[in-house]
Amino acid sequence: MHIVDGALAPEVLIGGGVLAVAGLGLGLRKLPIDKIPATGVLSATFFVASLIHVPVGPSSVHLIMSGLAGLVLGWTAFPALFVGLLLQAIFFGFGGLTVLGVNTVNIAFPAVIAGFMFRGLVSRSNPTFAAIWGGCAGALSIALTTLFVAISLGLSGEGFVPAAKLVFFAHIPIMAVEGLVSAAAVYLIMKVKPALLMADARISRYDAQSPAILAEQVNEANNG
Amino acid sequence: MAKLATGVFLAGLLFGMQAAQAHKVIASVFPSGTAVEGEIGFSNGDMAADTLVEVFDRQGNKIDEIRTDADGFFVYTPSRKVDLVFRADLGAGHVAEASFDIADLTGISGPGSIAAVSSDDSANITVDGAVVGDNATKTAITREQEEVIAAIVRDELRPLRREITAYKEKNDLQSILGGIGYIFGFFGIAYYLAARRLRAKATKS
Repeated sequence: MHIVDGALAPEVLIGGGVLAVAGLGLGLRKLPIDKIPATGVLSATFFVASLIHVPVGPSSVHLIMSGLAGLVLGWTAFPALFVGLLLQAIFFGFGGLTVLGVNTVNIAFPAVIAGFMFRGLVSRSNPTFAAIWGGCAGALSIALTTLFVAISLGLSGEGFVPAAKLVFFAHIPIMAVEGLVSAAAVYLIMKVKPALLMADARISRYDAQSPAILAEQVNEANNG
Repeated sequence: MAKLATGVFLAGLLFGMQAAQAHKVIASVFPSGTAVEGEIGFSNGDMAADTLVEVFDRQGNKIDEIRTDADGFFVYTPSRKVDLVFRADLGAGHVAEASFDIADLTGISGPGSIAAVSSDDSANITVDGAVVGDNATKTAITREQEEVIAAIVRDELRPLRREITAYKEKNDLQSILGGIGYIFGFFGIAYYLAARRLRAKATKS
């Protein structure tokens, strides 16, 4: 999942860096102020998830939780996962600093795609179905990530098809576990705070009301 | 049907073999007499069995290549006196790299080190008051015995070295909590900046 330093060609690293910066810019532009706490929490979730090892058969896999980030955050998943990856590289040595851009794109872009594909379905369903769609989003984002990793390796000189097969099959258990955990998380969110998954509707309402809210906030600030 | 069964079998095989790939790669090399011992594996304890390890010098010129055994273990005897870089590609973007400083490789056959050791020994023994002369100590340890002792010490130290490598890879609660703290702090600053901008915009309009 995390490509390490020295595995990729310089062109791929630069390309990944440019794409990551573009994604970060887009994510930060689309970041409404009331989404910042959720972004921070999901970033922390992603940061810690890689340390949670789930035993599967003789081996174990670790969680990634990018699908949930994409579902809740949309494009804002880019800054959230970037911060998570940066700190994972510094604290745990997962991946590395030169491959940070590529890793960000490989993990965050699939999260964004999965988020956009399933967010509508999740927000319109009852909790049970929302959980199923959430699980699909979690599994899909991992599957797409394996594809992106294979593309990165393919562009760096390894054969694309063998690399893709290897990475995809290696991540089948992660997809299953990730799907289950994402489903559980979405179920919980739908029960406790469904507004988190209805992001679009909420933003437009916020925008419509914003002059009134802002005026109120300014008054509060002056009073305080 | 047979095709499906083969497909499932192959998938199972690949998944069994490669399930460890989601973990961090660890490579360590250490001196062992005149040779260099090394170990390559994943942070969850799966070792890289039968993997090609390429040996480079510091300038990146390929010198040699070796294969690991079933436990991800390899022994390489350097033919030239240059610093070495060991590199193994474990597939799927996992590259293990470990460098080795040739100066660490003393080798037990160095006459200087033996002389130093035996003279130290004799000094200690004289202080203790035992009736052992210098000559007796020197003849007591022959080259064969020296090699046997070196081998024993290496075997005794090997688990310790593994433990140290494992310990270095351990993520303690401190760094996890520290990381979460950094994330919350970072987004707190972002929140502050966003709030300031919002307020500035509101005052203007």
